[in-house]
Amino acid sequence: MQYLALIYADETGWEAASAEEREAVYGRYRAFAEEAREAGVMRGGNELGPTRDATTVRVRGDETLVTDGPYAEVKEALGGYFLLECASIDEALDWAARIPAAEHGAIEVRPLHVEPEGGAS
Amino acid sequence: MKYAMLIYGDDSQWVDLPGEEKVKLRAEEMPRWVALFEELQKADPDVSGHELDGRTTAKVVRVRDGERIVTDGPFAETKEVVGGVFLADLPDLDEAIRLASQIPVAEMGSIEIRPVVQ
Repeated sequence: MQYLALIYADETGWEAASAEEREAVYGRYRAFAEEAREAGVMRGGNELGPTRDATTVRVRGDETLVTDGPYAEVKEALGGYFLLECASIDEALDWAARIPAAEHGAIEVRPLHVEPEGGAS
Repeated sequence: MKYAMLIYGDDSQWVDLPGEEKVKLRAEEMPRWVALFEELQKADPDVSGHELDGRTTAKVVRVRDGERIVTDGPFAETKEVVGGVFLADLPDLDEAIRLASQIPVAEMGSIEIRPVVQ
């Protein structure tokens, strides 16, 4: 079963961080990814650019509405995600708790949709 | 440039639909998703897409002072929540906007495009 671990954290701290501080955080993420890879759990991941670089698209009727900025202005924004292969949501939560941002932000764990035999769930 | 397209939709009505309604609606919409994915594949053969289960299956984990706190439900209790994501390497933001506008959910919900840090 695959789970997406969505990483929510306050961007302002990251924006203000020095190059050394960022490198230290990246080091922790690399260690997490390496450990998850060795355990056969890691299936991918991406760091998203800051929400000030976001563009939001909506289609209403025949019109495409494009706005600068994220879908929602929130204190803790989605900053990236990992895709994890785990036997259960409990195992996925164990791994998610080890993502560095869990210590100051929040990790949302969501199972990927699997089409059940014979129809939609 | 690699872009993530975050698909935000209101899944509350979907959750309450009877099973056979879901099968029917999904079957009706599927050709549009397939056509979109084929177009994304033309732009980037390595495009990936993930559909998430509904918000009721979400759990959030936080660690504070070494203690793990798990809560049910999605991180944000907004009307629209992330229901899926596409990741594609595209020439520019305009192309990302063009493709995002073809995602069926864009007609009811919102698609947030974010550059991916390489």
